[in-house]
Amino acid sequence: MILLAPLVPLLAAGAGWWLLPRRGSGWLLLVALVLTMGAAGWVVASSTRELTIGWGPVLSLSLGATAFGATMLLLIPAIAAPIIGYAYVTEAASRRSLVPLLLVFVATMELLVLSRDLLMLLVAWELVGAMSWLLIGHRWRDPGPPSAARITFITTRIGDLGLYAAAGVLFAATGSFRIDAIMALDRPAADLVAAGLLLAASAKSAQVPFAQWLFAAMAGPTPVSALLHSATLVAAGAYLLIVTSPLLGAVPWFLPAIALVGLVTAFAGGVVAALQSDAKPALAGSTSAQYGLMFIAIGAGAPAIAGAQLVIHAVFKSLLFLGAGVAMHESGSGRLAGMRLGRLRPVTALLSAIGLLALAAVPLTGGGWSKEAIVAAADERSVLVGTLVLASGALTAFYAMRLGLLMWGPGQRGTAREERPRLRADDLTMLPLAAGTVALSMLWLPGGAAWLAGADGRGFDLFSLLLSMGVIAAGALAAVALDRRGTLLAPAGDRGAELARTWLGFIPLFQSAVARESMRLADTLARFDARVVDAGVRLIWRLTRTLSRAIAYRDVVTVDGAVRAIGSGTLLTADLSRIADERGVDGTVEGTGRAVGRAGLESRRLQTGMSHEYLQLIAAGLAVALFILVIAR
Amino acid sequence: MLTIAILLPILAAIGVGLARNVSTGDGERRLQQVATVVAAVPLILLLVAWSRFGGSGGFEQVETVPWIPTLGVAWKVGVDGLSLPLATMTALLFVVAIAYPVDFRGRAAAYLALMLFLEGVSIGLFLAQDLFLFFVFWDVSLVAMYFLIGAWGHGDAARSALKFFVYTFAGSLPLLLAILALYLASEPRTFDMAELIRQQPLAGAGLYAMVVFLGFFLGFAIKTPMVPFHTWLPPAHVDAPGPASAILAGVLLKMGTYGFVRILMSMMPDAFADLAFPLAVLAVISIVYGALVALAQTNLKRLIAYTSVNHMGYVILGLAVAGVVAPGQEAAQRLALDGATLEMVAHGLITGGLFLISGSILTRGGTYEIAEYGGLLDRTRGLTVGTAVLAFASLGLPGLAGFVAEFQIFAGTLGVFPVLAMVALIGIVVTAALFLRMLGQMFLGPLPERWRSLPDLGRVVLGAIGLLVALVVLIGVAPALVLDVIDSFVAPFVAG
Repeated sequence: MILLAPLVPLLAAGAGWWLLPRRGSGWLLLVALVLTMGAAGWVVASSTRELTIGWGPVLSLSLGATAFGATMLLLIPAIAAPIIGYAYVTEAASRRSLVPLLLVFVATMELLVLSRDLLMLLVAWELVGAMSWLLIGHRWRDPGPPSAARITFITTRIGDLGLYAAAGVLFAATGSFRIDAIMALDRPAADLVAAGLLLAASAKSAQVPFAQWLFAAMAGPTPVSALLHSATLVAAGAYLLIVTSPLLGAVPWFLPAIALVGLVTAFAGGVVAALQSDAKPALAGSTSAQYGLMFIAIGAGAPAIAGAQLVIHAVFKSLLFLGAGVAMHESGSGRLAGMRLGRLRPVTALLSAIGLLALAAVPLTGGGWSKEAIVAAADERSVLVGTLVLASGALTAFYAMRLGLLMWGPGQRGTAREERPRLRADDLTMLPLAAGTVALSMLWLPGGAAWLAGADGRGFDLFSLLLSMGVIAAGALAAVALDRRGTLLAPAGDRGAELARTWLGFIPLFQSAVARESMRLADTLARFDARVVDAGVRLIWRLTRTLSRAIAYRDVVTVDGAVRAIGSGTLLTADLSRIADERGVDGTVEGTGRAVGRAGLESRRLQTGMSHEYLQLIAAGLAVALFILVIAR
Repeated sequence: MLTIAILLPILAAIGVGLARNVSTGDGERRLQQVATVVAAVPLILLLVAWSRFGGSGGFEQVETVPWIPTLGVAWKVGVDGLSLPLATMTALLFVVAIAYPVDFRGRAAAYLALMLFLEGVSIGLFLAQDLFLFFVFWDVSLVAMYFLIGAWGHGDAARSALKFFVYTFAGSLPLLLAILALYLASEPRTFDMAELIRQQPLAGAGLYAMVVFLGFFLGFAIKTPMVPFHTWLPPAHVDAPGPASAILAGVLLKMGTYGFVRILMSMMPDAFADLAFPLAVLAVISIVYGALVALAQTNLKRLIAYTSVNHMGYVILGLAVAGVVAPGQEAAQRLALDGATLEMVAHGLITGGLFLISGSILTRGGTYEIAEYGGLLDRTRGLTVGTAVLAFASLGLPGLAGFVAEFQIFAGTLGVFPVLAMVALIGIVVTAALFLRMLGQMFLGPLPERWRSLPDLGRVVLGAIGLLVALVVLIGVAPALVLDVIDSFVAPFVAG
């Protein structure tokens, strides 16, 4: 029954392939989305039992909903439903392939959060990656998306190696792939598993030094970006560490390492977002930074807070992406320079503003709550880290304000404006996500965080709240000030924009350099293979020929000994010389062309008599075998 | 019954070879249909054997006819958990390959006769319970494949066929000597495999055992092929007709890895254990080197050929892990050998399918050069989907057959040779890169003007590829179907 959660969207995808081109398919899609959410809800409500599927004599797959897994199980279809609705509304031409693929994407992610062992997790993990390849490359007729999809898949697969290694080490040490068996590990097996998990999670959750694949992933349609940044692909990495980090207490460096990766990424992603001149890449930088905050929370020993941040971020980030999709559609490009659509699309601007407030972590929003909780958790471990997280809030507020002004600012007088503000179909799909963002403000209520296991009962002191508000205000005001001076579009000039475009130099340094050097190594090896390895073989053949010719001439003193030896010499010698002759001919044919004439002559001779010569060869071989047998007896 | 599965296609080959009046296209088609039906009989017989298979751990359904009693040679065939999946995969691949359309060059009868002959011989090799019989099948398979490449190949087919033949034949001579040495060391002298496994004739034989080991190793390593004995493979594949290429990769390469398990690991386990680590190192070199050289290829068939080197490296790595003495890691060793055996089957289906597809691409576009193509998805849905599924299976995507095999090999290796396993993992990133690049360049992006009228796969081809794809998915989703049979051999083997 647990399998219903992934199976329902999978079946819906299959049905969608047939039904979507028909009229009235929108209502059917709505039913499918409701069923998908219902299946997840039913699995969460009905049972905590586990399902084990035998996969062979040694292997088995186990599925079941853990506490946080259940939250994710509900979150994924809840986020996906409005996004898929948006895809249905805006991508009418390609909805027949896009919508089913998005549903399969949801199914694989549901499978991932149901995994109770590392084998099942790896299966779902790689399937999520493969789906992202299909979705990012969805506009496959253009030259760009296929290679962008490849970059995404390969970068995240480098991380997958960590998961392979973790699973293997876990099995070798405990005889099981179960996630809860990680707890029983001793060092150094625990260190290897920890390293593998951190590698896998960092690559998937777009942390430094892998973060730059998010730019490539922008080649996908907007709904794909919205989904993979919020509740699927990228979320898988943070989810993995939230679930496993409490089990690896035996590894002292594990949590600090996670926090360090998160801290570096929080700033790197923030700078990228602040300097970007395009809408979607700016949001990509922001995603990377926000997942950095989750990593900091995990590293501070507060995985429940990281879980809260994951949920909150999923809701507002999908909202912001859909808004960005509308802005790109209206302005005809993804460039921030030509937007400021507040007058044209006031309703969309309002909905996006709700998301931006949460992104900026303004108190009384959901984003504000998780941000404060992360600062508090980090402060408990290290005042320095807590302070740095607090300071990063200024950066976040700055780029949130910047995006708000550049995308949804009112613009100059006389720009296109809507006659009467109204709710359009694409706005309608954003509405549930905006409502969700507002609803998450309840976290500030007493007991409002009770549904987040382990995250409730946390209060913030007034001083740190005031400090946070000051930092956020400073960041936002800085954006306003730059806007007045007209430099908001490129706060650090052309060099800054260039830096953001290359993800602070990570794209040329890692992506391009690694790809280029790998290709160069591959080319070198291929040349080595053709010239040296194969040449060695040819050399041996040529030497054998020379040697056996010499023997043949000594044994059989006739003018044409090498050829006539078959009939008259001993079987063994004949056998050798025949093989050698063929090899030699082959060597000559393949050789430098010194003896073109002779090679031509001999190969012609070969082609005429080849079949019966080979039968002779085999007969000779068998005769030798029998000869030895007779002697041996 | 197993005897019929071997002899029927061989005898039918004579009948088909003598067929007259097949010069017309119609006659050729009819003869091909007849040959396909004949080729399917061994498959059905093996499926019956599968249904009767008890999983006792030893050889089952053995059929013996004395042949040369004074030498201890007998016609003895049977199945166990190792040979049954391989023989069944072989029969299946032959049905698909024989049904596959190919340019007969006016000699349909000879082509189909050779394919049928090769089918009987290949099945015979996996079912043979007698070393002498094994060697006869081994050698004769080379001849049949030589003619298939030489006579129906393209490009520089004669040269490639010759290189294939001489190289692998050079490997079969030390193999023959090693078989004889093993025979001479047995007491009473016998070629019977079960008896040789019981006797362990070379246990504690020191240097002599090492020399014999080397003889077997050379024969098997060339056929598998392992780096650095692999350079015969790419030219043979490039110039062979599609179906022959599929058989070469799918069936003939498995003869090498099968020999490793059936002879070296079973009859000389002590020598194998001593040399398992260097063998594992060589396997890892095959994995990484094969993948990287494949990455540099611009020719579709060369690319797939080098990924075969990579995949056979996984198999050998799993075998080395299972054969070493590693107290306390029996579970990991069992995992590795289960995986390695499944990889033989999975690679046969996946790479067999990819080579068949390559043949169809050549007949449509006239070239194997990847860069010549682009945007084919626009024209050829079936071809694209088939290639994509098989390519993803080859790069080890879960849900498809390759993953289950490779995951078990990696997981097992991590328990025994952890450092080698980490290095070997690089292989799956490189294969992912090269297959996604191939898919992107050939099937995605803008469609060049010259391919605007490229036809999609015909019904027979679609059915053939569809069958292989379906099996790859089936094994990927429910691997227990095959793994349970394999494990009936592996579990007692690893337990010692």
